[in-house]
Amino acid sequence: MFGQMIHSVTRFASEYNQFFASGMAYLGAGIAVIAGLGPGIGQGFAAGKAAEAVGRQPEAQSKILVTTLVTQAVAETTGLYALLVALLLIGK
Amino acid sequence: MLEFKLFSPISPNVVSTLIIVAILALVFTIAGLKIKKLNPAEAPKGFLFLCVLLVDFFINFLKGYIKGKRLDFFGPYLFTLILFLAVANTSALFGLTPPLANIGVAMSFSIITFIMIKIAEFKFQGVKNKMIGLLGPVKPLAPLMLPINLIGEVSTPFSMGLRLFVNLMSGVVITAMVFAIVGFIGSLLAGVLLHVIFDIFFGLIQAFVFFMLSTVNLSMASES
Repeated sequence: MFGQMIHSVTRFASEYNQFFASGMAYLGAGIAVIAGLGPGIGQGFAAGKAAEAVGRQPEAQSKILVTTLVTQAVAETTGLYALLVALLLIGK
Repeated sequence: MLEFKLFSPISPNVVSTLIIVAILALVFTIAGLKIKKLNPAEAPKGFLFLCVLLVDFFINFLKGYIKGKRLDFFGPYLFTLILFLAVANTSALFGLTPPLANIGVAMSFSIITFIMIKIAEFKFQGVKNKMIGLLGPVKPLAPLMLPINLIGEVSTPFSMGLRLFVNLMSGVVITAMVFAIVGFIGSLLAGVLLHVIFDIFFGLIQAFVFFMLSTVNLSMASES
């Protein structure tokens, strides 16, 4: 049973070719971009809190805007890393 | 995209960087020479008025983050940084390749900021205080905290440079993809939307974010 499995895996691996590899790279790029979920939720959370803060203190709007932009840019970083990995995989 | 060859002809990103540096140097040298001759009793006009207004606004904005003597030390550097980044990120509107879409240019900016942060720490905190600060507040945990703090020190320029690079590069790649799909006539229509979003909006936001992160890091580093 186990030997049969190894045999089938090696036969599968022997059929690797460049098309299979590039197809898997595109698939990996698609999976990598799923990481965009996290920054989306985080940025939305920051934006919602900022809107709440402006509603509570309209006179502090400019300071809140600056803080929101910076925190959102920091939250964006993980998504950007995923995008970089995806672009590297596409260019492979 | 990420290729780096030591002895290769200069990339289009570096060419546009040099063009922007030359233009900015020329414009601001002329402005500086004119402002030196300005009569302080009269109100300046036209272009000089714009320059004075910009510097005044910038100093007032920066006063909320960096105080007193340190503003004189960091102000010129930060002003140069945001001016260059704002012009460089919108330079795709004039047909140049955005300089920050090359990882070499983006990382050199973050390394310059990293060196400025180190200078600020050594100048305003002192070497000894900085070394003690690296060990962490609890002395028995120092062997555990030291590597974490050292990694934190080194990761700042990497995250800043990569953020700047990937933002600009993603704009370039997505614009090129859409232009390749829609053809010549369609790209005339799509270009309006794409360049406004990726060059003006994201470019200026990223310039501002890099400037703000530099400011916050510098003000944190120079506080003793």
